[in-house]
Amino acid sequence: MNRRDLFSNLVRMSSRDLSPVETMPVVLAGLTERTLPLTLEDVLHLYRRVGFSATMAQAKSLVGKTAVEVVDALLGSDTEPDHPSPGAWVDVATENPAGADLQTRNAIEASWYTYHALLSNWWLGHMKADTKAVEKLSLFWMSHWVSEFSFDAETVTLPQALYRQYKVLRKGRLGDMKQMALDVTVDNAMVWYLGGHFNESGKPNENYGRELLELFTTGIGWYTEGDVKEASRVLTGWKASRYSDEPSPNGIYNTWFAAAKHDTGAKQFMGQPIPARTADNNTEYQVKNEEVFELIKIIFEERPIELSRFIAEKFYRYFVYSSKGDVDVAFVAELATVFAASGFQLRALARALFTSERFFDQAMRGVQIKTPFEFVVGVQRQLGLDAADPMSWMAKMDQNVMDPPNVAGWPGYRSWISTNTYPVRRQLTDLMIRQMTDAQAVTFIKQFDDHTDVRKFVRGVIAYLLPVSVSQAREDFYVSALMQSAPEYEWVNIIESASAAGQRLRTLITTISKAPDFQLC
Amino acid sequence: MKRRTFLSTTAAAAVGSQVLGGVPLRAFSPVDLEPMLQEDNDRTLIVIQLFGGNDGLNTIIPADDDEYYRLRPSIAVPKANAVQVLSRVYMHPAFDPAGVYNMRRMFEDGRLAIVQGIGYDNPSLSHFRSTDIFLSGFNSSDPNKRLVDGWLGRFFSDRIQGFPETLPAHPTAVQIGGALSMLFQSPKGDTGIALTDPQKFFELGQGLSPDLDPMPEDTAYGKEFNFVRLVAEQSDRYSTVVKQAYDAGRNTVTYPKNGFVQQMQLVARLISGGLKSKVFLVSMGGFDTHVQQQNADLSGLHPYLLETLSTGVGLFMQDALAQGFADKVVGMTVSEFGRRPSENGSRGTDHGASSVQFVWGNQVRSGVYGNNPNLVNLNTNKDVIYQWDYRRVYTDILETWFGGTEADTTKVFEEKILPLGVIKAQATGVDDYRMSQSLSIKAFPNPTSSTLNVEWYQPTAARVMIELFSTDGRRVETLWNGRVLSGKQSIGVSPSSSGTYLCAVTVNGVRSVVPVSVVR
Repeated sequence: MNRRDLFSNLVRMSSRDLSPVETMPVVLAGLTERTLPLTLEDVLHLYRRVGFSATMAQAKSLVGKTAVEVVDALLGSDTEPDHPSPGAWVDVATENPAGADLQTRNAIEASWYTYHALLSNWWLGHMKADTKAVEKLSLFWMSHWVSEFSFDAETVTLPQALYRQYKVLRKGRLGDMKQMALDVTVDNAMVWYLGGHFNESGKPNENYGRELLELFTTGIGWYTEGDVKEASRVLTGWKASRYSDEPSPNGIYNTWFAAAKHDTGAKQFMGQPIPARTADNNTEYQVKNEEVFELIKIIFEERPIELSRFIAEKFYRYFVYSSKGDVDVAFVAELATVFAASGFQLRALARALFTSERFFDQAMRGVQIKTPFEFVVGVQRQLGLDAADPMSWMAKMDQNVMDPPNVAGWPGYRSWISTNTYPVRRQLTDLMIRQMTDAQAVTFIKQFDDHTDVRKFVRGVIAYLLPVSVSQAREDFYVSALMQSAPEYEWVNIIESASAAGQRLRTLITTISKAPDFQLC
Repeated sequence: MKRRTFLSTTAAAAVGSQVLGGVPLRAFSPVDLEPMLQEDNDRTLIVIQLFGGNDGLNTIIPADDDEYYRLRPSIAVPKANAVQVLSRVYMHPAFDPAGVYNMRRMFEDGRLAIVQGIGYDNPSLSHFRSTDIFLSGFNSSDPNKRLVDGWLGRFFSDRIQGFPETLPAHPTAVQIGGALSMLFQSPKGDTGIALTDPQKFFELGQGLSPDLDPMPEDTAYGKEFNFVRLVAEQSDRYSTVVKQAYDAGRNTVTYPKNGFVQQMQLVARLISGGLKSKVFLVSMGGFDTHVQQQNADLSGLHPYLLETLSTGVGLFMQDALAQGFADKVVGMTVSEFGRRPSENGSRGTDHGASSVQFVWGNQVRSGVYGNNPNLVNLNTNKDVIYQWDYRRVYTDILETWFGGTEADTTKVFEEKILPLGVIKAQATGVDDYRMSQSLSIKAFPNPTSSTLNVEWYQPTAARVMIELFSTDGRRVETLWNGRVLSGKQSIGVSPSSSGTYLCAVTVNGVRSVVPVSVVR
């Protein structure tokens, strides 16, 4: 892609190669805290990125506060209450389809898809209702520590397992990343999805060991094949719990440890020794908290720069600008320094990024292509309407909930918009707008201050629905879409009539939604 | 009548240095012309992407190699079950399902090239990195080099006049399903479209043309705005064109209900209906066979995939033959890597390196390229060492099939690569006919310990370049560059270091290749 300097407002601090941390500049200019109180546009921008778009009422209530105040509230606590369960099905054991007759097998497999749909729509509902960044960050982590629902011809990761993985990541979303890594590594969904279940002493399966390094912690290039092998040895012995005819000593859908399958020999990982075990210290608790945790700690201790930059870059691309070729390496390195210095506390990383001048910079507005999550949830929130079966819409937009195409997650960025998926976004928007009743239209209009002034009203709607202010010509075009040849002063009269207001508002929103930057946030 | 500059491809005339292990390769002589004059270059490429890393060793079985059976006690295909197609060349039986035209039969009919040992230097065992390498056409061992666009995207974006401000009437590339692959992306924008269902694409695509002009591209926002706008415009314009081709097209064979096979069916129908796209991309997943790859009775995950692939390609070929467009289509498989020679503990295989590639069609120089994999001399990860840089086949596609020049392909790959010669020469003009006749090049002494004398008879004055390529196809150095007069030529050149090479003599754009060895 084009490597011209895009950020005319921003200072490029260094070349693109990784520099050792000792030569990092002392003054963290790019990461300076945004101290000016937030405007309405700032709040809308923040919520588009860290949430799924704010409602007008929500946004207005936060105008004038500082970034730190708003972000701290947005991030939520480490003890956010769990949502009520999606249904009794999450705690009911699954029958093993193997060996059953064809009809039973089909029924069991169909149930997986039914539960996956239920779970997806349940989660989408919570995203729509979330007034903070809890679900967006949970989504970020579910998209990082990938377990696909449907990943080969024969098997799935059960929705019951995915639900439990989601709870683990939601709880730990802003905690110590080492702890998160440990919890996910021995979690049921991951142990099944990446072959941990088959990884036994003498019969190694390197799948998770490799992806732990390549995709989840340091990124490619910072470990040897030997490290992958040794990590796989450390990770032997864990068993997933799927079906009712399989052992589940820790309860259904919880992993358990098969001591006899664990490779107890001494290991050497990233140059560090991991001592051998004997029958005396080869229990689940000990292996998890000593050996597996040791593996994780070594990764963080031996590759702090690479790991912190890898994660910082992930945050940058997810929340700021996802273009692979345009990552501001210097800024990411600064963010990484903050992350590493905090002892890999995710809250410190998130806070530093979301309260930074860079995050609020005008050059960073409207550069993110809305992911299907952001689009489908966002359009519902912004219009105050519900879409029926949102997960099906998302599937048509190439994003299946909890089901990326492969273990690297979704490629994202421009892959969301293709001749296949762009028409679907337009179709959903048109359908939802047509759903809007006249009464709902009037409510929508009245949420804007100065809505009796047609110019101020249209500008307000533009600021609400589009990420960047538009040219005078475009504003005129939208005003004429609203007024439809009636003179502008008649707007006051039009809003007295719900049907007139409704028809015109729907036309205005439809026209705005056809703009390319309706897909941007 | 358009005349086109004749380009000859010289094949991997490195037969001499490559015949090891007794595999009887076809004799590749420098290519003779068949001056076919063509009105229009309506040649099409079908890329079949096999996601996950296809196990080449269990596709083309080294059934005469004891090491194969030692390394795979559970999942090796027994010699008695393997389908022999040439002396020492065997296919997995799943490649030959009964009752359908399939890839085994295509090989017998001279429509299939089996390329052993396709790969690249310093192989990556990461799905994503290696896929990016295969799709971008850049082999970079620097994990920080960003691979963001595709070899086909870069090639076509330069050839489409006025792209992306103006779009061609038909989409240049069509991907069936999913979001647009990196393969078709270019620095100027996407050269292709992604579509799943032509009818739905049409219905949804109407009226999507954006009402707004493009933005200036000096901001990130402007760039992304323009990208979305372009897709909207393509959706609108191409939805009609694709639907027209779909409605006008037909299939003459029955394709079973299977995802991949139906993709091939759709491509056949679109081509038959007159869609003038240059490239179609279809795909199959599931090749990442870490666990339970094959059952004892040779059924199972991997064999099922092979059967599907063979059936899909075979039926397409049959359809194309019946409808008369078989000469205009070439297909190739691509997969991010092969698999490790030794099986793992789960009756499966882990990520490997080099593998087998298939190039198919009436315009393919059928045969086997390269030797059976050497299972004794493996690389440090105990994976198969490659024989041909994968871009040798790409260069064949771009130069021989699509008519690109050496300059075009050097620009695409940012280095010079020698084509492998899997595609028959597509002569379209009689210009330089005399010049393009094969030159009988002699290089001696061979092996040499220092200087090489390159001799041939030159009918007219010409520009000559003598280059050295490594046996996997990458350019090593230029030995001589200048003009010669007519008559017998004898040019002394001095390769820099010892090794086995391909010496390429290019005369007025026509290349002849001779294998040479330098032993100091």
